[in-house]
Order: sequence, then structure tokens, then C-alpha cells
Amino acid sequence: MLWLQVLVNGLALGGLYACIAAGFSLVWGVLNIINILHGSLIVLGGYLAFFAHLQLGISPFLFAPIAGMLLFLPGFAIQRVIISPVMARPVLMTLVLTFGLTLFLDNLMLVAFTADYRKINLQPPLGVLEFGDVVLPLDRLYATGIGLVSVGALWLVLRSTQLGRAIVAVRMDRDAASLMGINVRLTHAIAFGLGTAMAGVAGALLAAIFPISSLSSSGYLGKAFVICVLGGLGSVPGVVLGGFALGVIESYGALAVGPENALTMSFLLLIALLALRPTGLLGRKGFT
Amino acid sequence: MKAVRAVALTLVLALATLSQTNAQETLRIGAPLPITGALAPEGSKLKQGYELWLDTVNQAGGVKLGDKRLKVELVYYDYQSTTPKAVQLAEKLISGDKVDFLFSPFGSGAAKAVSAIAEKYGVPMLASSASSNEVFDQGYKNLFGLYTDNSSLSEPIADVVKEKLPALKRVAILGRNDLYPLSLGNEFEKSAKKRGLDVVYYEKYPIGTLDHSSALTQLRAANPDWVIVTGYINDLILIRKQAAELKVGGQIYTLINGPAYQEWIDAVGPLAEGVTTASWFHPVLDYKSEDIFGSTRKFVSLFKAKYGSEPDFTQASGAAVGVILQLAIERAGSKDRSAVREQLVRGKFNTFFAPVSFGPTGMANSYLPPVFQIQEGKVQVVYPPEVATGSFRTGLTH
Repeated sequence: MLWLQVLVNGLALGGLYACIAAGFSLVWGVLNIINILHGSLIVLGGYLAFFAHLQLGISPFLFAPIAGMLLFLPGFAIQRVIISPVMARPVLMTLVLTFGLTLFLDNLMLVAFTADYRKINLQPPLGVLEFGDVVLPLDRLYATGIGLVSVGALWLVLRSTQLGRAIVAVRMDRDAASLMGINVRLTHAIAFGLGTAMAGVAGALLAAIFPISSLSSSGYLGKAFVICVLGGLGSVPGVVLGGFALGVIESYGALAVGPENALTMSFLLLIALLALRPTGLLGRKGFT
Repeated sequence: MKAVRAVALTLVLALATLSQTNAQETLRIGAPLPITGALAPEGSKLKQGYELWLDTVNQAGGVKLGDKRLKVELVYYDYQSTTPKAVQLAEKLISGDKVDFLFSPFGSGAAKAVSAIAEKYGVPMLASSASSNEVFDQGYKNLFGLYTDNSSLSEPIADVVKEKLPALKRVAILGRNDLYPLSLGNEFEKSAKKRGLDVVYYEKYPIGTLDHSSALTQLRAANPDWVIVTGYINDLILIRKQAAELKVGGQIYTLINGPAYQEWIDAVGPLAEGVTTASWFHPVLDYKSEDIFGSTRKFVSLFKAKYGSEPDFTQASGAAVGVILQLAIERAGSKDRSAVREQLVRGKFNTFFAPVSFGPTGMANSYLPPVFQIQEGKVQVVYPPEVATGSFRTGLTH
């Protein structure tokens, strides 16, 4: 039964992983920005959920969409005011810029929240589902479920709304989109805002399971990176597949080669995939 | 014009002389600290400890040297949690800032690296947070470590467990793949084997792991009686929670370092119950001391008044290296480095932290870190009996 429990462990994280990576993938795909700030925004979403739970007693699962809404505007503003002026520069410039922003935000959170690790304690605890020997913690099930629903909502927005088609059009051909009357600058800012909103949702869901600290952003960023490459850049179904793939690979990797080597194994797989199928499992041009 | 210049020059000279005399009357201590980067939490804790000691000493007039008193000045630099930077800054503190003594950077690795600089210049350095034997194996004369070595954490717990749970047989160890936690994991393996226990599981997890469910699933399958996990507070919050979710059994849990921190207890809630740990210091201890604080209790109350929370062992370590250095200087009657070094070697400092003397390698060997157990959300000392505040409880269901 060991292998079944390990599979459940991996799957239980998949939807959450997809949620971590969705906003990162959107921003990378549409704006061609590797948004290093994404990890810090996830942490910020986590803190919002933590304080909402502590002060107002709101469950982080209910708070997740609110965290998303709260982070949309700052994301929109950051793109308009700070990132927009260097959008036309090479990708390295925006990379350095978002790296600078992440240092700034991390240290700001360090001052505001200190570096103490904090954890939301759900009272009463949600408990676990048991199927014989196999257990599935309910908080993980909820987090993964809400994560998947949020990613699904993003997919619907991109697929079936005018705004979403505009975002996809800008991603496919900026100049042509502009000629069709799409406001490219506005679309960029909205796409970035949606990316930070997804980070907020992911942060709130993570805070329900994992402790948060001002300095944990890089771990989340690394995961987002791997998932995007695994699943393929610029595709919503890709991040879902990438998220579940990473969850399961990490899980079985730990079983097969010991937990200390599991991370090495997932990165080895990443290198292999980059060599054999550089577009990722589902990647293609255009954000659909 | 000339007159103005002459006056200005005199003024400058006068000021220079003034600051010179000031420099002679102060005791300057250099302290490279990790204010930013991965070790920022520990860095700010050490700094709080240093500053509580510093403020207390200076309010009392300074360090006593015969009938005069020396004000203490701490010179900090941020080494950004990178060891090579700590080494550079230590050199700058000694040759540029002309500090009299050094406090080490945080942890074993950086303390070892900087100890070479202290030795080169003959500057006594107090290591606040190095507990690995490897730090003290270079025969240096200027390195003094406040912590006893890692085996002093595993042995007392193993004694308590063996005595109270004689039927216990199977031990599982999960250790963070990092210098100190791994060294501690190895010490627990030795302590367990020495007592005839079977180590049925021993795995390492990488730094920064978020999800421990695979490791814990395997650990559960090994069916242990005693679960030992080493790491830092974040790891141990995660692991305790995930172990409960995955219904890992076992009669006794030992987690180091974390459960002695209030943050850890707050974060895991009822799951803290019955968990054992060990640490070099905890505010429930009560030593009478000859230092500026007078007793552990007084230190704790001053700390609370200044920072609004109880001190943990890192914060206390910062203040402890301060009081030890102060006692050594006062006994030497001068801030001459070799006279102070001689006093440090002689030892027998009764501090609020513990009775501290240093062994031949410079590592403290004069006290036993107490064993703690969380009982009803509070930390209780269960060993050694001299400082115990409660007795070890068995029969917990995990």
C-alpha cells in the first residue's frame, strides 16, 4: 500500500502546484517577463490569509479568492508604473527589475511581519479521509481542489471573454493585436494583475497547509519555474499537468532515491525534458 | 584668513584628541551579523541578546576595571548570511575598526571560518552558536564556544527515554541535510545504538523541503517507537503536522531545534503535547549568577521588558557571550587581550545562561543542556533533576 499512499501524497499537491505556477506562466507567456517577484507575492497572499484568519476568523479556503482580488490592483499598478517603462528592453532587464522588486518586497515583509514562521491553525482541524491504510488530509484536498477551480476560472476567462481573447491576441502577435484596436499597454497591465491575483490565491491556499515566512519566496518561485517548463509555457492545461507531474515525481522520487535526492531527480528530469522536448509536455505558441 | 585656518586646525586637532581619549575609554567589540539573507531571523535574535547586555552594562556605568569603568561599544556589520563576507568583515573589524574582541558570526560553519582570522590577529573570539566539534578541531587559542557539543544533546534524552520506556526498541531518525542537523542526527544514531536500540529508519531531507509526506510515509511503514527529527523551526512545524496527518505512530517524539521556541508551540497547537527536545538554554531555567543580570529570572524579566517576549536560546546566547567577556575582562583587570584570554581559559563563569568553563579545545564542557518536554502547551525541564520543573510523561498517543 506504500506506493498508493505515495501516489495520493503527490496528487494531493498537484492542484496547488498548478495554482502556484499559473500566474507565473501567464505573465511569462503574455508579457515575456520572467517574474521573479511571483514568489514574494505568493508569500504576501499567505500573510493576508494568515491575518484574515487571526483577526477576522476567516478560513483561508474562503479567503483565497479575496486574496486574489486584493492583489490584482497592486499587480496592475506595478506593471503600469514600474515595469511598463522597460517592457521594450531585453528580457534580462525585466528579470533584473523584478529581482530587485522581490528583494524590496521580501525585506519590506521582513520589517512588517518579522521573519518568524507562522502557521494558520484551523480550529477544529479538518481531519483526514481514510481508505484502509491510505490517508488523505482534508486540508490538502481542499487546497488542491480550490487551486484547480481557480486555474479553471483563469482558463475560462482567457478562453471565453473578450478580455481573455485580447490577452491571448497580445501574446500571439503584439503588433497585429494593436492594429485590431486592442490597447496593448492596458492588456499587459491586466495580464500582470491576473498573474499577481493567482499568486494571492496560491499564497492563501499554501498558508492553510504550510508555515509562512518572509523569506520563503524563492522555494515557491523554483517550483513555479519547474512546473512551467514541465507542462509547457503559456498553456493553462500545461500548468495543471506540470503541477500534478511535479507532485507525483517528487513523491515517488523521495521513495525511490531518498528524500535528500528527490529534488535532484526532479531537476534531472527537467533537464532531460528540456533536451528532448523543449516546449514542455503541452507547450505551444500562444496562450490558450 | 590665516587666523581662521589656525582656529579651525586647532578645533580639528582638539576634536581628534577628544575622540582619541574617548576611544581609549571604551571597550570595542566587533560582531559580524547576518542581518539579511537566509539567517536573518537568527541574526536579529543574536543582536537583541547583544544589545540587552550592552544596554544593561552601559546603564550600570560600564565594565569595571579597578576603580574606573569602560563603556562598551559594539561594532556591527551585516555579512548577508554569506560566510566569505563574514571573514572579510572580521578582518575589517580588527584592522579597520580596531576592535578589542570579537563575537562570532552565527552557526558552526561561519564561526569556524572566522576563527582563522581571530587566530591570525590574536583576538579572542566568543562563539555564540557553534555546537559542532569540527569547529574546534584546529588547535586555536582564541576561540571560545558557549555551546557544549552535539552529543550532549542526544545522550541525556536517550538516557531519559531508555529509563522511562524500557520496552522501547525501534528508532526512526529524519535529519535535515545540513551541517548541524546532520551531525546531531548522527549523534542520535550513536546514542540509540549504544543503548541497544534498533535504528529502523534514517533518512535525510534537503534544505527547504516543503512537503515531507513521502519521507513520513516511509517512516510510518518502518513502524518506529521513537521518532527523532532534526532541523530548524520551519521544518519541524511542517514535519510535526504532516506526521499527524499521515498518522505516523510512535510513543515518543524528539524534535530539535524548534519545540523550545514559543513560536513552534503556537504553530502546531495541540500536536506539541509530549514532544521532547533539548537546548542549551530556556527561560524556565533558574540559575543564580555572578554576572550583571544576577540570575536567569532577572535576565528573562529584563528581556521581556525590552522586547515584549521571552528570550529563546539564540537571544540568550547573544547576551551570554557578552557577560562572559565582561567577567573575563573584569577578572583580568584590563582589556589586554592575552590577560583576558588567560581568564577565559581559566573559566568558571557562573552566568544566567549556565555555569560556563571551556574545555581544552575551547568548547564549553561545564554544563549539560537540559531535556525539555512540552506539557499542556508549556515547556517543562524534565532532566537533569537539579533544574527539573516537571517529570517526564509517557503513554502519550501520537
